[in-house]
Amino acid sequence: MRQFLRFAFAASATALAAASYAADPIVIGVSIAQSPPGSVVQGTQVKDGVEIVLKMLNDKGGVLGRPLKVVYEDNQGIPEKGRAAVEKLINRDNVVAVTGGHQSSVCLAEIEVAHRTKTPYVNTNCWSDDIRTKGYPEVFNPGNYNTRVSSAMAETIAALKVKSVVAFAENTDYGIGQAKLLGEFLKKEAPDTSYKYVALDRAGKDFTPAVLPLRGSPPELVVNIMLPPAAYILMNQLYEQGVAPSAKTAFYDGAGIADYPDFWQNVKEAGKYMLAFGLYHPAMPMPDLGKQVGETYQKNSGNEPNRLIFQAADSVLLIARAIEKAGSTDGEAILKALREGEFEETRGKFKFSQDKGYTYQQWVEIPYVTYQLTEVNQPISKTTLIQVPGEPLKIDKVLKPAR
Amino acid sequence: MLALDLFVNGLIIGLFYALMAVGLTMIFGILKVVNFAHGEFYMVGAYTYTLVSLGLGVSPWIALPIAAASGAAIGWLTERWLMRPLYTGYGSWALMKDEYAVVVTFGLSLLLINLFDKVIGPYPMRGPALSDVTRMSIGPFMASGHKLITAAIAILLLVALALFIKRSLWGRQIQAVAQNRLGASIAGIDTGRASSIIFMASGVLAALAGALLAPIINPAPDVGIFPAVKSYVIVVIGGMGSIPGSIIAALALGVLESFGAVYISYDYRDTFGLVVLILVLLFRPQGLFGERAREV
Amino acid sequence: MAIPQHPAFLRSKLTQEMRLSLVVLVLLALAPLAVTSPYWLGVLIVSMYFAMLSTGWNLLAGYTGQFSLAPAAFAMLGGYTTGLLAWHWNVPLAIGVPMSFVIPGLIGLVLGRIVLRLSGPYLALTTLSFAEIVRLLIYNSIDFTRGDQGLNVPGLVESRLGNYYLFLVVLAAITIGVFLLLRSRHGRFFQAIRDDEIGAASRGIDVVRSKTIAFLVSCAICGLAGGLYGTFARLVSPELGLIAQTGMVIAMVVIGGMGTLVGPLIGAVLVYVASELLRDVGNIQMIVFALLVIIFARFFREGLWGLARGAFARRRGAAGAAKGA
Repeated sequence: MRQFLRFAFAASATALAAASYAADPIVIGVSIAQSPPGSVVQGTQVKDGVEIVLKMLNDKGGVLGRPLKVVYEDNQGIPEKGRAAVEKLINRDNVVAVTGGHQSSVCLAEIEVAHRTKTPYVNTNCWSDDIRTKGYPEVFNPGNYNTRVSSAMAETIAALKVKSVVAFAENTDYGIGQAKLLGEFLKKEAPDTSYKYVALDRAGKDFTPAVLPLRGSPPELVVNIMLPPAAYILMNQLYEQGVAPSAKTAFYDGAGIADYPDFWQNVKEAGKYMLAFGLYHPAMPMPDLGKQVGETYQKNSGNEPNRLIFQAADSVLLIARAIEKAGSTDGEAILKALREGEFEETRGKFKFSQDKGYTYQQWVEIPYVTYQLTEVNQPISKTTLIQVPGEPLKIDKVLKPAR
Repeated sequence: MLALDLFVNGLIIGLFYALMAVGLTMIFGILKVVNFAHGEFYMVGAYTYTLVSLGLGVSPWIALPIAAASGAAIGWLTERWLMRPLYTGYGSWALMKDEYAVVVTFGLSLLLINLFDKVIGPYPMRGPALSDVTRMSIGPFMASGHKLITAAIAILLLVALALFIKRSLWGRQIQAVAQNRLGASIAGIDTGRASSIIFMASGVLAALAGALLAPIINPAPDVGIFPAVKSYVIVVIGGMGSIPGSIIAALALGVLESFGAVYISYDYRDTFGLVVLILVLLFRPQGLFGERAREV
Repeated sequence: MAIPQHPAFLRSKLTQEMRLSLVVLVLLALAPLAVTSPYWLGVLIVSMYFAMLSTGWNLLAGYTGQFSLAPAAFAMLGGYTTGLLAWHWNVPLAIGVPMSFVIPGLIGLVLGRIVLRLSGPYLALTTLSFAEIVRLLIYNSIDFTRGDQGLNVPGLVESRLGNYYLFLVVLAAITIGVFLLLRSRHGRFFQAIRDDEIGAASRGIDVVRSKTIAFLVSCAICGLAGGLYGTFARLVSPELGLIAQTGMVIAMVVIGGMGTLVGPLIGAVLVYVASELLRDVGNIQMIVFALLVIIFARFFREGLWGLARGAFARRRGAAGAAKGA
């Protein structure tokens, strides 16, 4: 009897082991903000994008015949928690790669852990150039970067031919970094335009004292380098005080807030006439995979997709493709595949540059557009595109309010 | 003119600070305890207002009194369950009354923040404005309709409170308790009820402050922490226990911050009040209007 | 109402607590035999960081009655001391880490002098304001401290296990140091001040000196904890000094047992490990702890340690009665 039991036990154990090996999922770690003070809206959109691709890949049989699984960790938008989250994902959940980062200060802390443990890290949406200039071979950047935005904004501002610019930036590494870069680029692109920036506390609720001085001496353009909810408060107070958008002063957003799902609900009239730097517009040319992801998102949520959805989708797709190209989940192999591969996912064809500096392992020529919101509650698809990739700005299409 | 704009803006902000701080002054001055959960009364009011008007589709004007009621309820509960033992005198905390109040209200604050975070969710919401007019001008000033209406309501509330304390029966009982608790109870005043009323009034004012500001501050579970810190600053500067003192201090702080943000530094705006607090505590601990002998 | 605390009685209670603290420390030393995952070792390391903070704060609040709301701010100051020295001037950690003990200690001394005449809520408010000012200063001085990005700190020890024992050794040193301090006449002065400050002064105790020493030592301990933490996490950020972190420390001490030597140790480890375990259950750990703080403050001032001691005493009493009968 005991012999039989021992045999049965051994047999079932081996059977279980064999079965679990075949269904052994590939685990990807996603570190996002799901509670304050992090940007929960951004984190949720990253998650949405990841989920769409996860389902898509698993419906087709997974990666290398194994199902794909994602483990989420909440980093609360705090660098220290991000560090702990990535450590947890690597040590406890044994992920093959980490992605999802959408707040620069958190990314900076997380890449340290990725570098120390030689884990592939795909930077979904952290714009800080520092992440690239550190030169960590584990970090890949398919998303946007500050220099791109700053140079694009400077070109746009030069094309708008304004004489005076005031920028409001949040007092974070992202905000101040962008504001400074913008100043430098403007000196080259539009040397006759005066420029200054004001740093505001992103947790602040009242920016009226900063807005009031502009009533007396209005600039021709106000630039926003702040994220919601502070950005919404700023816009409302600029509008309330009659500063911007107005006949004298236009308002230009460089932080991509127009495609946040709660944008119109929070700003209402203050958003009309806003000019926007955009990484995504429905009228932009896009690969079929991108259109498919966009349609799925629209069907699931009832909202128009935005760049975060596509960037998040791309992050997971990149990891999956790299694993397939490498034929294994070994870290080194994935890194090699990412370094050398050519990719075309939801936003276009690209290869990661190996030039040092802010272009290190970055998709350098990320497409962008400029558009203007002309009606309250206007969906992005109905906004006026005033500039598309490769073409100059159409200044005659820019509208101004009556007063 | 910029200076005038800043001054008026500062006064408006100061009015809201005053709403928050006056309740705390009463608790400090009359009951002689501290309430570290005050910011959460504010948060509860903001959430109640937002949820009731958005979730039940009710007009904001009806949601306001409901928010006030929620403030009263939570004030009453806090006093009854957590603070009552302080005066009935009990056990090992009797020697460290102040410390007990600090710890227990700190715990309450943590509890409320995390409870709301869990139950309602961390996403900031946007409370409806009391007026759809987003900008109007009054003479040389521009402000949103909502800001003007809420400023007016704030003034009405403060005046109502002053009248309540000075004229009504309960108000005079509260004054008696403030002067001498034991004596008041000997004279037949129900000190327990007086304490409840004070906490409830404090809760109502804080909740209304939160509700009135809801469209601007985007209620989130941790939204009460900053206003609370400002309130403590004001209460001390104005003089613990002096209601007129805290109102004046509140208005002054609003104006100071408004000017300081533009002329000194925007980043460090929030530190001005804190620095003034430390200075006051060092050199004039009774505040601007308080009575002497605060250390014991 | 106050039971006069005879020095000998105090000393034996203290020695008893020290023995238990040693037990806890030994258990921690043996823990890696059972706990091998680097993740959980990391959790225990952070628990030890909190245990240091709790011990430091308990010395000031539980034993001397000075309810400061600034322990987390001093840990942040300690972390940034080490970090800034290394970042800007390449100061080696051999100097940087001890500096995280010295400099916050000196700042604590100054703060202690400032709040000398304050008590209760006034003391709490002033220390709260100080903590917030410091945090805001660090957050906003982006050019100097890198603001919200945080500052990279070089590592002292490479291996997870090495860090674990480093923290344990420092924690043990701090606990023993506090024990010796409390056992000395300074310890008696602290408690006299806590129980009745005016009475203590009238008995000839130099209240100014004692309070200053308490602040100095407490803030130095918190600073050192922060400095060590920086070398472990390789990062310090303004979040270290958030009031919410002070809230955690207060919760740990209240739950563990305020005014006892071993209370902060058990409180810190239990609360932090539980918070990691509860995290999976759905993030309700802070709700649970806040409730516990309220309940303990309301009903069980002596915390878990007090409850445990009470249980032992009852059993010993019952056994004694049985023997005698």
